[in-house]
Order: sequence, then structure tokens, then C-alpha cells
Amino acid sequence: MLVELSNLPGPDWGLMLPQLAVFGLALVLLFGDAFMARAQHFRVLTGVSLVGYGLATALLWTQDGRNEATFFGLFRADGLTVFLSLVILVAALLTVMVSASYVDRLEGRMPIGEFYVLLAFSVLGALMVAAAGDLVMIFVGIELSSLATYILTAFAKRRLGAVEGALKYFLLGIFASAILVYGMAWIYGATGTTDLDGIARALQTATAGDEFLEPSLLLALLLTIVGLGFKMAAVPFHFWTPDAYDGAATPVTAFMSVVPKAAAFAATIRLLVQALGPMRDDWLNLIAVLAFVTMAFGNVVAVAQRNVKRMLAYSSIAHTGYMMVGLAVYRQQGGFDVGGGATGGDQGVTSLLYYILAYTVMNIGAFAVVAWLQHRGRGLTLDDFAGLASTQPLAAAAMTVFLLSLMGIPPTIGFRAKYEVILAAINADTAAGLALAISIVVLSAVSAFYYLRVVAVMYFDEPARTPRTESTPLLNVGIGAMAVATLLLGVFFSGQLIDLADRWSRALTVVAQAGGGG
Amino acid sequence: MGELGVNHFLFLSAALFIIGMMGVLVRRNLIIIFMCVELMMNAVNLTLVAFAWESNTMNGQSFALFTIAVAAAEAAVGLAIIMALSRRQSTIDADEIRSLRD
Repeated sequence: MLVELSNLPGPDWGLMLPQLAVFGLALVLLFGDAFMARAQHFRVLTGVSLVGYGLATALLWTQDGRNEATFFGLFRADGLTVFLSLVILVAALLTVMVSASYVDRLEGRMPIGEFYVLLAFSVLGALMVAAAGDLVMIFVGIELSSLATYILTAFAKRRLGAVEGALKYFLLGIFASAILVYGMAWIYGATGTTDLDGIARALQTATAGDEFLEPSLLLALLLTIVGLGFKMAAVPFHFWTPDAYDGAATPVTAFMSVVPKAAAFAATIRLLVQALGPMRDDWLNLIAVLAFVTMAFGNVVAVAQRNVKRMLAYSSIAHTGYMMVGLAVYRQQGGFDVGGGATGGDQGVTSLLYYILAYTVMNIGAFAVVAWLQHRGRGLTLDDFAGLASTQPLAAAAMTVFLLSLMGIPPTIGFRAKYEVILAAINADTAAGLALAISIVVLSAVSAFYYLRVVAVMYFDEPARTPRTESTPLLNVGIGAMAVATLLLGVFFSGQLIDLADRWSRALTVVAQAGGGG
Repeated sequence: MGELGVNHFLFLSAALFIIGMMGVLVRRNLIIIFMCVELMMNAVNLTLVAFAWESNTMNGQSFALFTIAVAAAEAAVGLAIIMALSRRQSTIDADEIRSLRD
């Protein structure tokens, strides 16, 4: 394809305002960190971060309802972009609230400016994956997000555990990246393009008996799923998860349990559904098996944990499994609607997206309470939660809300999300879907044991010691907001949120290429 | 055999990739493990360029450039983490690193 350079259409910058806002935020933070007095960092940079992420979230409405691509199809603004960006930006806002006082005061006063810069770049990488229209974009976005997260994991570098967790996360992360990008190379080799829609188009027109295409695509599919499985912490690719989550500073754990996972699911939906949708018969069963193994393993091992942070790490593995169920029951015909008419979204993927949103609120909430207790001199084991209800009733109540939501008790958002996933699995009308729906219910009962154990310890045990008092206003506001959202979003606004998630399917229609090329 | 075709490059890169992968799984020195991942990344680059050459498209070439840049960034971060670890404890043997266990 030869193009006259002077005729190249310029990119449509207006299409990517939220992403540009986060990029601008990262640069402002970088300069603020370098040129401002250290004493002002905490107050000013926290404010700048909150405003920046708030602005980016508000700017998401400029992308809503559009279905366009720019930069020769590299960047797409569609329903999937908007919803996943919303999840990622909400997670970023909450992480700033949870981390500000922790980073500034605990673990030997870490440099807060650098922390926010790395956070912003990690968020930017995740946003790039959510908006990716090309294999290159997915890869670079995942790497930007991961590299910043590796450093964040090691941020409490005075503690050996933090560095060790970061090292395991890093080594397995780059190993997974290499496998993933090898899979991408084979997809490119088999289809001759790195454009996601182009891949889907090539697969649809491919002849069935092509000797080279089939084995190379199966190899690519396998490599890709292994690579993505590492990134989203699916069993059996989860080894790094408990150590990295346990080692990292608690607010970082909250962040990395959500944003890199959301980025990994964004990449998975883009790759498997949008690009490799036409060969879904080859990957649906594999994802179903992984989903079952992941939720079974996560729930069973979490039962044995006495360390609450580690318990939440295994529980997040279990939640990955629930989310994968949504993907495993994907059944929409074809991956690419050439006619351009938007069909209704597939229920499975919609429920997966809604689950990520619910998981964001309740999981960051649970880690936020752990961080709140660390501020007050308590540790991470179950005994440290003893008698919390009598000494700090509000914190105990908030933790109870988050744990009940993680368990899936009505009327919390966690219940609504789990309900949607189960409904999608049953509606898929396959034996695998039904089996997965039953396993979710049974394993949720198992999970009740370890979640309720924390609640029981908080309410029925005697407090071991008198707590230290400390003022953490921003963290308190964050926990309060998350507790209210966890309680109410499952009842109110859930219809609108599910509608918003449902628009992901527009990603599968041909987009108007504002930036030309193609 | 005769002429040099794309399959030769693919076999070579697959061999490199598998050597790197085995190295990651078998070796215990962190630096060596890291080098093995770099070898895997270079195998990927070779694959991408070979496919680009075969299909006469530029996507693979530019993808390979991005992969090289990412690998360089990984090296910076990875060596920094290994440095931080070796300051805390004197070994960089993967089997000796186990303060975090259940």
C-alpha cells in the first residue's frame, strides 16, 4: 500500500480526549514532582491527580455513542472503549483516595510524586488497551501498564517482601508478554494484517481446508490464551498473584487487583471476540475449562489463608474465574458484522463487563479497609481484625458490606453482577454453560466460609488491644463512597450501567475510519 | 532444500523461542532467566520480520520495532528490581528467594 505522504489524513485528536487528559496528567505530575518543593507534593499532587482523573472521566462522554477509529485504525472509540475506560478511571480515582495517606506516612514515607506518575502511566496503558484496534496497540498498552505496575509493586522497597513480590510479578509478567507477542506474530503471519477487524475479515474469507492457516492459527490461539491467562491471573498461570499481592503496599495491591486485570480482559475481548471471533468454537471450551479451574482453585485455597491480604489475593483469582465464565458463554454469530447494523450485545460479554465494574468497587473497598487498619497500627492477619466492631464500628460495617458483596449477597452490587453472569451462562443453553452456572453457585457457598470468617472475627471476638487514632480524611471518604456504591448500585442505576456495558457489541461493526487508511 | 524460504526463518525463530522458554523454566539465576526472556523476544522479532518479508506488508517490521523498544524498557525495570533485591539479600538465585510463602 503506497500512500502519498502529503495526502495522509491527520489524526482526529478530538476522538481521544480522555486518553490525552490522562497523558497530560502524567506529564504535569512528572514536572510537578521534579520542580515543586517536597513539602507541597502530598497536597498539590493528590489534588492534581483527583482533578485529572475526574476530568478524564467526564471527557468519556465525548466518546459515548461514537463508533469511530483514528490513527489508521490503531485507536478506536466505541462502546467497549467507553465502558472499560470508565472502569479503569474509577479504579484510578479510588486508588488515589486509598493510597495518598498510606504512601505519604507508612512504610518509611515513599516519594508520593513518583507514585502518582507511575500510577498515571499504568492507567494510560490500560486505557490504550481498552481503545486498541490493532495488535501493536494492545501489546504496547499492556506493556506500558505492566511496567509501571511492576515498579509500583516494588515501591515499598525497604521491605524485602515488596521487592520479592515485584520480582516474581516481573519475571512471570515478561515471560507471559513474550508468549503473548509470539502468539500475535503468528496471528499476523496467518492473516497478513495486525488490524483486529482485518484479522476477523481474513478469517471469515479463509478457506476451510487451508493447510497452513489452521495449525498456525491454533498455535497462535494457544499462545495468546496462555499469555493473557498470566496477565489476568487465571489458574494455572497464577503463581505470581499471591506473592505479588501480599508483597506490595496495600493500596498498590488494590490497584493491581483491578486495573491490570481490566486491561487483560480488555485485551482478551479485543483479541478473542473481535479479532478471533470467527474461530470461537476453538477457544470457547478452553476458556470454559480455565474459568472452572480458576474459580475452583481460588476459592478452595482462599479457605486456608489466615492472612487477610493473601485471602483477598486468592479471592481475586476466584473472581477472575467468575468473569471468565462471561467470556466462555459468548455465542454471538460471527465476529464481524459487515452490514454495519449494530446487533444487541452478547449477554455473556456484557455480564463480564458489568462484573468488572462491580469487582472494582468492592475489591478496592476491601483492600481500602485493610489499609485503613494498617494506618491504625493493626496487621494483616485474621487476629488483627478481632473485635473491630466494638472499637471501630464504622470500619467493621464497611468491611462487612464489601465482604458480603464479594460473596454475592443481595442487595449488593456483587450479587447483581454474579446474577448477570449466571443468567448469561444459563441462557447460553449449552451443557458447559449450565455446568459453569452451577459451579458458580456451589463455589460461592464455599467462598461464604472465608468471607464470613472475617465478619465473625470482627463481630464476635474480643478486641486484642486499643487502636491508635489517626486522621485519614481522604481514605475515609473513599471507603464511604465505595460502601455506598456497593450497597446501592446493585439496586439503583444497575439498568443504566448494564445498558452502557451492552453497547460493547458496537465494537464488532465496521467503524468509520476518520483517520483514513485501512 | 535449495532456496531460502520463510519456513527456515520460522523454524529458526521457533527454536530460539523454545530454547529461551526452556531456559526460563530450568535455570535458577535471575539474570540468566531474564536473558532467556530477551531471547524469546528476539525470536518473536525474527518471526515478525520473516512474516513481513513473506507477505510484503510493513506491519510486521514496525511491530518488531515496538517489540525491541518494549524489551529495552523491560530491561531497565527488571535490572532495577534485581538490583534492589540484591541489596537486601546477597543472592540472586531464584530458589533462595522465598520469604513470601504460605
